[in-house]
Amino acid sequence: MPDLAMIAQLADVKSAVLGNLTGGYHDAVREQDGETIAAVMGFVSSAMVHAGDQLGLGALHRISIVGEARGCLIVVQGDSVITARVEPGKSLAAVEKVLDTPVQGRA
Amino acid sequence: MENVLQGLMELVGARATMVLDGTGRVVAHLGHAVYDRGLCGQIGGTVTKAIETIQLQQEDWETITAQFADGRILLRGVAAPANGQRHVLAIVGDGTLNASFATVALRVAANKIRSALEGGTSQPPSAGSQALGSAVAKAPPPPTSSSVALDSRPVLANSGLSWSKGPNEGSSATGISNVAVADPASAALLQRCTKELARHVGPMAKVYVQEALRRISPDAPFSLQVARQLVDELSGQIEEPEERAQFRKAMLEKK
Repeated sequence: MPDLAMIAQLADVKSAVLGNLTGGYHDAVREQDGETIAAVMGFVSSAMVHAGDQLGLGALHRISIVGEARGCLIVVQGDSVITARVEPGKSLAAVEKVLDTPVQGRA
Repeated sequence: MENVLQGLMELVGARATMVLDGTGRVVAHLGHAVYDRGLCGQIGGTVTKAIETIQLQQEDWETITAQFADGRILLRGVAAPANGQRHVLAIVGDGTLNASFATVALRVAANKIRSALEGGTSQPPSAGSQALGSAVAKAPPPPTSSSVALDSRPVLANSGLSWSKGPNEGSSATGISNVAVADPASAALLQRCTKELARHVGPMAKVYVQEALRRISPDAPFSLQVARQLVDELSGQIEEPEERAQFRKAMLEKK
């Protein structure tokens, strides 16, 4: 499973924040407002977990938010939530691809 | 608008598609079996809360993809009509939904939805929603390759047990896809149960599950209320006591 440091060092990842599903903040790399991001993305992840439960889609793995100028990747591992800010937005797919490779230890 | 949604439903793996207004209300909807309008309405509210929260950090989002163990939810913002509110186009898909194809299809569909919404701005939002909703509910099922009917009504559902079907999907000798389930959560549990059993008894797992369901729930769709009974029944199919215990532990512990 990818960790905060590994995600933060990927190309085009401008910052990364480690939090949890209740919005708690644990750590951040190159991000000054980590607590806010952890709270916001923790809530978003919890909402999506709830939606997935209602639809019978199983455990939430990842949320990708794509915009023209920037993107955001949320990786959910159990209770942990890692949020990576990616610029430009079109680089998000490349970051996801890296996370999907077995070398990164993804199950 | 229903034609646009029908086009999305023709994507392989698409289970439901819907248009949500700014408050999360379902404006239009098409879905396989258990993904009825009521369920999509619940999802709409949840998803809209998530989107509103995302907009605190990223107001210019275009597409949101949530990837789950057994499927995906894709969301695409629909640019606001001249004097209306922003809408969201959503697809719910199973594990076979190709996210890249779906993203492109969503982009195209969003433009068409926008045109449809702009054409209907003379109506109040609620009236428009009802009109669109009833129109979609009456729409005939699209010509999909599967025989599963698209409908807004809560009807008996596909069990989702087609996880191990081969390339000749639809010709399963077991006929397991005809198993009825009460809701998506029940379908997910049934699928998990079959996978877990297959670890111990192999491909016969689907047959055992189907037989067990006939015994414990002959006249009603499978629901979570009889899940423990199903596990008890299926445990009897595993000869080795240790493996039987493993199966029970895997199924009875909260996922």
